[in-house]
Amino acid sequence: MLKSDWKRHFGLREAGVYYALILLMITLGVVTSLSGRPPYFSPVNITNILYQSSMIALMGVAMTVVLITGNFDLSVGSVAALGAAISVALAGPMGFGAAAIIALVACGMVGALNGAIVQLLGINAFIVTLGTLTGIRGLVLILTNGRSLIVSTPEAKAQMVAFEGGRVPIQMLLIVAGILLIVWFGVRLLRARRTGTHVDVGVPGAIVAGAAMLLTAFWGGAELGVAKPVIYTAIYTAIVWGVLSYTTIGRRVYATGGNPIAARLSGVNVGVYKMAGFVLSSATAGFAGILFGSRLGAVNPTALQGAELTVIAAAILGGTSLFGGAGSVIKTLVGALLLFTLTNGFNILNLGANYQGVIEGTVVVAAAAIYTVGGSRRKKAMA
Amino acid sequence: MSQSPHHKGEQPLLSLTGIQKTFPNGTVALRGVDFAAYAGSVHGLLGANGAGKSTLIKILSATYPATGGKQVWKGQEVAFNSPLEANKSGIATIHQNIPLVPTLSVLENVFLWKERGWRRDPSDQIRFAEICDEVGYHINPNDLVNDLSIGARQMVCILQALSYGADLIVMDEPTASLAKEEREIVYSTVRKLAGQGKGIIFVSHFLDEIVALTDEVTVLRDGKTVMYAVTAEVAEADIANAIAGRTVGTLEHLRNVRGTIRDEVVLECTDIASPEGLLPTNLTLRAGEVVGIAGLLGSGRSELVHAIFGSDKHASGKVVMNGQTMGRSPSQSVKAGMALVPEDRDQQAIVPVFEIWKNNSLPYLDKTAKHGIFLQRDVEMEWAERAIETLKIKTDSAETFVTELSGGNAQKVTVSRWLFGDAKLIILDEPTAGIDVGAKADILALVRKLAADGVAIIIISSEFEEILAVSDRILVMRDGAVVAERDSKDVDDQTLILLASGISATDMAKAPQKEGIQNA
Repeated sequence: MLKSDWKRHFGLREAGVYYALILLMITLGVVTSLSGRPPYFSPVNITNILYQSSMIALMGVAMTVVLITGNFDLSVGSVAALGAAISVALAGPMGFGAAAIIALVACGMVGALNGAIVQLLGINAFIVTLGTLTGIRGLVLILTNGRSLIVSTPEAKAQMVAFEGGRVPIQMLLIVAGILLIVWFGVRLLRARRTGTHVDVGVPGAIVAGAAMLLTAFWGGAELGVAKPVIYTAIYTAIVWGVLSYTTIGRRVYATGGNPIAARLSGVNVGVYKMAGFVLSSATAGFAGILFGSRLGAVNPTALQGAELTVIAAAILGGTSLFGGAGSVIKTLVGALLLFTLTNGFNILNLGANYQGVIEGTVVVAAAAIYTVGGSRRKKAMA
Repeated sequence: MSQSPHHKGEQPLLSLTGIQKTFPNGTVALRGVDFAAYAGSVHGLLGANGAGKSTLIKILSATYPATGGKQVWKGQEVAFNSPLEANKSGIATIHQNIPLVPTLSVLENVFLWKERGWRRDPSDQIRFAEICDEVGYHINPNDLVNDLSIGARQMVCILQALSYGADLIVMDEPTASLAKEEREIVYSTVRKLAGQGKGIIFVSHFLDEIVALTDEVTVLRDGKTVMYAVTAEVAEADIANAIAGRTVGTLEHLRNVRGTIRDEVVLECTDIASPEGLLPTNLTLRAGEVVGIAGLLGSGRSELVHAIFGSDKHASGKVVMNGQTMGRSPSQSVKAGMALVPEDRDQQAIVPVFEIWKNNSLPYLDKTAKHGIFLQRDVEMEWAERAIETLKIKTDSAETFVTELSGGNAQKVTVSRWLFGDAKLIILDEPTAGIDVGAKADILALVRKLAADGVAIIIISSEFEEILAVSDRILVMRDGAVVAERDSKDVDDQTLILLASGISATDMAKAPQKEGIQNA
C-alpha cells in the first residue's frame, strides 16, 4: 500500500510539473552555456523569471482554490485591471493605503457578485464569469474614459513605488526559512518514523524545499535579492497552502469540490465555501492589479487583457482538476514558473516570439493529456 | 421452461431456460432463470431488490451476455451481441431511466435508431401518425422531449419501440415515477398492444397493477425463478409470499432485542411536507426507538427524510430536534445531532477523491481538529481504525480510497462516519441496498446497538424483512403519504408488501390504522 502510494506521488501525474520544470531548466542551462548566449543560471535571470511570473502565480493560487471548489473564474484579468485602475485613480487624492483598500473591497465585491449569481441562480460559473470578464473590462473603460491613467501626485507615486519596487535581499530570509522548514518537518518525519505512522508526501517535500532554499542562498550570495511582488506571492502561497493542507477549512474546500452533495449532507456549508472561493479569487486579482498599477504608477484600460488564460493555464499545468476536488497551490506556482521559464528561454535563445504561442499551447495540452491519460489508467488499474 | 397450460401448443415468442449470469468480479446475479413470453400476453415480472430483475432485463436487451443457459427467440436459439441487434430482431426494451435525447423533438427521438435517410423525412411523419393511431395515443411530433412530463416521455419510448416493429416489448418499471392518470394511459396502451398480438414483459413493484394488468406472472428471488402462475388463478398474498421468501436466519435473532425506548422525545415533526412528493406528515421519535419506513421507490420515503434533515429547501412544516426548532440547513441539523446516511452512496455520500479516513471524519471534522481548526491526522486515523474495527470494514488500510472498496464496505464507511459525534438521531435511507448479506447483518446489528445506547433511528428499506428485524414501529408509505402504522410485533412482511404495494379494501378493514400518525 505504502509503496504504491509513493509510486503514485512520484508518478508523472502527480509530480510531472516538477519534472517538466527541472528538465526545461537543465536544457536551457546547457544550451545557453554551449551556444555562448547569456547564461540562464545567473542570479539576475532567475530573479527576473520569478518577478515576471509573480503576478500570474499570485492569481493562479487563488484560481486553484476556485477550481478545487468545482467552479471556474474567467474574470480575473478584468478584475485585476479594475483593481489597478481604482488604486491608480484614487492614490493621488486619498493616499495609496486607502486607495488600495478600496480597490481590494471593490474587487472582492465583484467576486461576491460572481458567487451570488452562480450559487443563487444556478448559472454555470463559466458563463457568469465570461460575462463579468467583459462587463468589468467595460467598467474599467468607463472609469478611465478609455485613456491611460497616471497617479496624480508624486507622494502617492513614491508610496506605490515603495510598495512594489526595489529589491529585497533574501539570503538571510532563505537561510532562516530553509532551516525552519528542515527542522520543523524533520522533527515531524522523525516522530512519524518512531511511532510508525504514515508520512504525508508534503513532509519530505517541505524538507527538500528547505534544502533547496539553503542551496540557493549559498549559490546566490549576499547580493541575491528579489522584487517585492515575489515575496508577497511567496507569503500568500505559503498561507493558502497551509490553510488548504492543515486546517478543517482546507479539507472542506476539497470536500466541496469532490462531491458537493455528499459534503452538504455531511453538514458542510457548501454554499459558503464556493462563495468564498470567488471572493478570494477576485480579491487576489485586485491585489495583483494594485501591484501592476504600482509598477508604473499608471494603468492603461486594456492592461492585463488575456491574463486570465495564462492564470488558468498555470493551474492546469499544476494538475488542478477542472472537475473540482483536486489541486495544489504549490504545483500551480510551479506551473506559472514553467510558463514564464519557457518565455524567458525564447528570449535568451533569441528564438523569436513567433514560435512562442505554438510551444506554450503544446505544453498546456500535453500536460492536460498526461493528467487525463494517467488518471484513467489509474482508474482502470483499480477496476 | 415447460410449456404452460395457459398456452397449449402455442410457440413462445421468447423462451429462456436456465439463464445464468456471473459478473467478472464474481458476483452471481442469476442462478437459473426460466421464463417464457407469448404473443398477445402480458407477462408480469416481479422480485425484491437484488432478485435479478434488472440483470435479466439487461440480458434480454443484450446490454450484456448471459454466462449460461439458452435463449430461444421465435423458435431459434440466439445470442445477441448488441442492443441494436436485439432491436432489429424485434425485442424492444424500455428502460427505467428513459434514454431519450431531451433536446430533440418527439419525432426525432422516435426515429433516432434510423441509420440513414434525411433528418426530416416526410415518410417518418406518416409512419408516426400510423403508430399513434395504432396505440390510440396522440402527441405533437414536434414537441421537444425536454418539455414533456415523465409519463409522456414513457409513451415516446413505447412509440419508439413500435417504430421499429418490435414484437416483444420489455418494460422496466414503467409506472414507478408516474402520476395516477399517466399510469392509466400506460395501462391502456399495454392492453391495446397485447390485443394486437405483441408480447409484453411488464416489470413492476406494484402488486395491484400486476394483478390488474397481467395475464401471467413470474417471480424471481435470489437469481432464480421461484414462481410462475396465471394471474387470474393466483392470490395476491401468494405472490407476496414468493417475493419475500423465508426470513433470512441471520436477521431472526435481532427480533428479540427490543425494549430500548426511553421517555425523552428526540424528534418531533409537525406537518412536514414537500412539493417533491410528500404530503403533510407528523412524526414523533423517542430516544432509543427504531422506526422503520416501509415503502417502495417513489413512495415519498426519501422525501420524508430529506424534509426532516433540512436538505430539501422546498419542504415546509416544523421540525423540532431535542427541543430546538430547525431551519432548513443540513449543517445546523448535523450540529443539533442529526445524521443522515443517504440513499445513493456514490452520488450523495462518498467524496471520491478522499481516502477512507478523510471520508470517515467529514461530518465531525471539527471534533478531530485542534481548536476546531488544525487538522490532527493521528486523531483522524484513530477514528478510521475504530470505524474499520467496529463495522468490520474489509480493507488493507485506512489509506485506501473508498471508491476502491466493494459496495458493502463503502456503505459501511457512510454509516461509520456518524458514530463519532454523539448523534442523537440517525436516519438510514436504504442502508442495505445492493450489499451482501454479511455487510447487511453488520449494519443492522449496529442499528440495534445504537438504539440500546439511546440513539433514535429511522431506517428505510425496500426489503421489509430487514425493517421487521430491527424496528420497534413501522410506518408504511405510499404515494407520498404514510398509509399505515404498525407495531413490528404485530405484522409480517407479506402484510407490509401488501400495504406498501397497494392494499385492497378488505385488507384495510382487517387492520385499521393506528392513532399517532395523521395525514392531511
